[in-house]
Amino acid sequence: MHRLPTLLSGIFLVFLTSWLGLVAYPALQLGRLTPVADTDNGGSLPPTYGGQAIAGQRIYATEGCISCHSQQVRQTSITTSDIDRGWGVRPSVARDYLRDSTAFLGSRRLGQDLSNVGVRRPDAKWHFIHLYHPAAVCEGSLMPCFSDLFLVRKIQGQRSDDALNLTGADAPKEGYEVIPTADAKNLVAYLLSLRHDYPLPEAPVKKNGAAK
Amino acid sequence: MNHDHHNNQHENGSEETNRPLSPWLVGTFMLALCWGGFYLAFNSGGFRQDVYESNAVNWAGGGVAAAAPVDPKVVGKRLYTQNCVVCHQPTGMGVAGQFPPLVGSEYVLAQGNMGDNHLVMLVLNGLQGHFMVKGEAYNNAMVPWKQLTDEQIADILTYIRSDWGNNAPAITPAFVAQIRKETASANDSYTQEQLMAMPPMKSSGAQGATPATK
Amino acid sequence: MSDHTLPHHHPESGYLPVESKSIDASVRLPVIILFGNAIHWLVVAALLSVIVSIKLIAPGFLGGISFLNYGRLAPMARDLMLYGWASQAALGAGIWLMARLCGRPLGGKNAEGFGGMLLRTLIISATVLWNLAVLLGTLAIFAGYSTGVEWLEYPNWASAMLLLSFLLIGIWAVLLFDRRSTGRAEVAQWYLVAAFCWFPWVYGTANLLLVWKPIQASAQGPIQSWYCGSLLALWLLPVALASAYALLPRLLGSHLNRRNLATLGFWMLLMLGGWNGMDRLIGGPVPAWMTSAGVVAGVLFLIPIFMISINLLGMHRKEALVADSIPSRFLLMGLYALIVVGVIGAIASLPDVSGAVRFTAFTEAKTQLWILGAISLPLFGALYESLPHLLGRDCWSPVLSGRHYVLTLVGLGMLVVLMLLGGLFTGLALADPTVSFLNITSYSYPFHVMECVAQLLLLVAALLLGANITIALAGDYLLNKKTGK
Repeated sequence: MHRLPTLLSGIFLVFLTSWLGLVAYPALQLGRLTPVADTDNGGSLPPTYGGQAIAGQRIYATEGCISCHSQQVRQTSITTSDIDRGWGVRPSVARDYLRDSTAFLGSRRLGQDLSNVGVRRPDAKWHFIHLYHPAAVCEGSLMPCFSDLFLVRKIQGQRSDDALNLTGADAPKEGYEVIPTADAKNLVAYLLSLRHDYPLPEAPVKKNGAAK
Repeated sequence: MNHDHHNNQHENGSEETNRPLSPWLVGTFMLALCWGGFYLAFNSGGFRQDVYESNAVNWAGGGVAAAAPVDPKVVGKRLYTQNCVVCHQPTGMGVAGQFPPLVGSEYVLAQGNMGDNHLVMLVLNGLQGHFMVKGEAYNNAMVPWKQLTDEQIADILTYIRSDWGNNAPAITPAFVAQIRKETASANDSYTQEQLMAMPPMKSSGAQGATPATK
Repeated sequence: MSDHTLPHHHPESGYLPVESKSIDASVRLPVIILFGNAIHWLVVAALLSVIVSIKLIAPGFLGGISFLNYGRLAPMARDLMLYGWASQAALGAGIWLMARLCGRPLGGKNAEGFGGMLLRTLIISATVLWNLAVLLGTLAIFAGYSTGVEWLEYPNWASAMLLLSFLLIGIWAVLLFDRRSTGRAEVAQWYLVAAFCWFPWVYGTANLLLVWKPIQASAQGPIQSWYCGSLLALWLLPVALASAYALLPRLLGSHLNRRNLATLGFWMLLMLGGWNGMDRLIGGPVPAWMTSAGVVAGVLFLIPIFMISINLLGMHRKEALVADSIPSRFLLMGLYALIVVGVIGAIASLPDVSGAVRFTAFTEAKTQLWILGAISLPLFGALYESLPHLLGRDCWSPVLSGRHYVLTLVGLGMLVVLMLLGGLFTGLALADPTVSFLNITSYSYPFHVMECVAQLLLLVAALLLGANITIALAGDYLLNKKTGK
């Protein structure tokens, strides 16, 4: 412990234990998980993302959504409250994040868990209004207004199909409309694709409601 | 690593000496390590990569441990709170003269001429006009709830049949699905007469007694 | 030494008799620059933390501007606290302590010659590179180029710059140990060698696998949690502990009398530090054994903490010395904070507790106590102790130092207690599925208000420290008119 080489080897070897368990093992085992075949619908599980959803992941990262939202339904041996709350039908497993570029697991729930938001809120229009002014659809929400993801512009000719249906104080001036930018559309496409409700070998989906 | 047991005057002027370790300390340390070892042994799912639930000891290596089943009554209670308490109240007592109670209700418990199917039908498609519940007369409309899924309706009904002193068998999602299919043609809320005209059915599918003709 | 108006009591024999003045002179400029920059970032991070906590009370505050959204400011504040303040203060303290403990000036025989000047220039340039990386990385998050990985939000080029500059600074500390003129190694020196070796490995691995060449996302969760645990427990905490081990015995006129315990504590800390990060992922999408490992590591982490505390708090000490000495007060408070954080961590790792409080302010309180308490308090102690030696005179204003001490403790205590309570309430409410999420949000409101007040206190404390060091350094410049900042 007084010579540098001795100290260094000891440090190296002991440090190796956590490195092997938490870096090497995940990289070599979890990092090599492959999709499984979807016997019901063809294709594979987890389902692939469309191009918009992949672009939307970048927006999720840069807007810092992970600061407030998690994306994991916890194992029932730790708590059943995530599933009871309707945030998922089964716990999330590592394979669910296969298709993501970054696993946005999150560590804080100032907002709801989003791992199954595509099932819970399948309506893109709701998401657009929610992103534009969260308190309009969720009273008392702490979420900031992502108004930079939208464009307020003069109605040219006819009202755009994309225009948000805003009422009251949120509605734009007469003759103006609020339309989502490409970033907003990509982000919402990503949110709509978030679902962990398909069965996997290590995570069967139990049909509840079995007679007691 | 040196274990010097005598005073050691360090060259740079500070001493670092060695008092022998107290046995309490060593004992606690060993105990803690033992606890850690046992905990890991019994809560690691056999150290398998595909076992995620830590309460499954899987040393035999056969199959994947099942996730703890979700209690439909808990989910049902949440859904009831979100959808039904406005009228039927958190106590299930309803509002006198306006919204009928669910506590001891023959509709909920499928007593007398009521079957499980009547309960599911009125939740799916609604009820209107004059009707009697527990001897009290009501004249109101219950909106249809067909937008809820089979699982959700089954969970709510299972819940209301098990709380506030009610005790009746659970309703299965499969039963709700069956009733939904059979009554798909109904495009308006039932009146009590229309409801009672259908023969009662138990959730298991068995037929009940034939209805009294009115 | 010039007369001490600040009643620090450290007999010169307690330190290296080997030309300590020349050692101090050899590291003076690099360490002062490191500390100065660290404090600057501390103030900025504290300001951002205040803004972020206001946003939890009034989401419309500075709203509508994408740059100032919570999702951008919160990671900026966190990363500045970690890489701007804590890591730089650790670098500064580490270099000074290592040089003093090894009895060898930086640059060895060439310390006062050309070689020494070259070395100092190299370290100062590396420091500039570090601060550039921090500044540009923070601005990148601000502008919308965050990577989205928690605690690693700096873009690729910024984190690469950070790693490079660390290597250029840290290598010298390790070499100092190798070439030291003293025989037996002190406990503090082990911790410093370990810390300077680990940061590059931990930071490099995490960035490589999560940011530079991300591996498949199914594996990223444990690696990111390992990084969080390792950064705190294997880089920052060891330097803080080294400060405590090196300075407390000398400041309190005592000596370490349980070296074997210190050895045990050192190796256990090494072993458990990385695993301790897994408490962020208990119940998460990882195999069951990792969850259990997180539980066990969280609870067993109490062992090294108790060993360290028994060692340092169990020394015979002269209470009068503590009462008068700001550095020793900071160091002791840091140890108490470490004990508290160990207890909270152990409780929060238990499966049922984790199931209730994970994702709430409870775990955030633990992180804040780690960074602002167990790590920052001893680093403050090292800062207050080192600067008078480096400048060769009593430079701290007693009034400002005292106020900084009190405000830091009050602010930190308030913040942690409120977050623990608020997190507990939130967690229990979240565990009941009939309570709607928005209701829970409104329950947390009073806690967020008080947390904001606590952050304000911490901001004022940081400003006081900034004023203190500015006066100290400016005074030096005016007095000496030699090498100024």
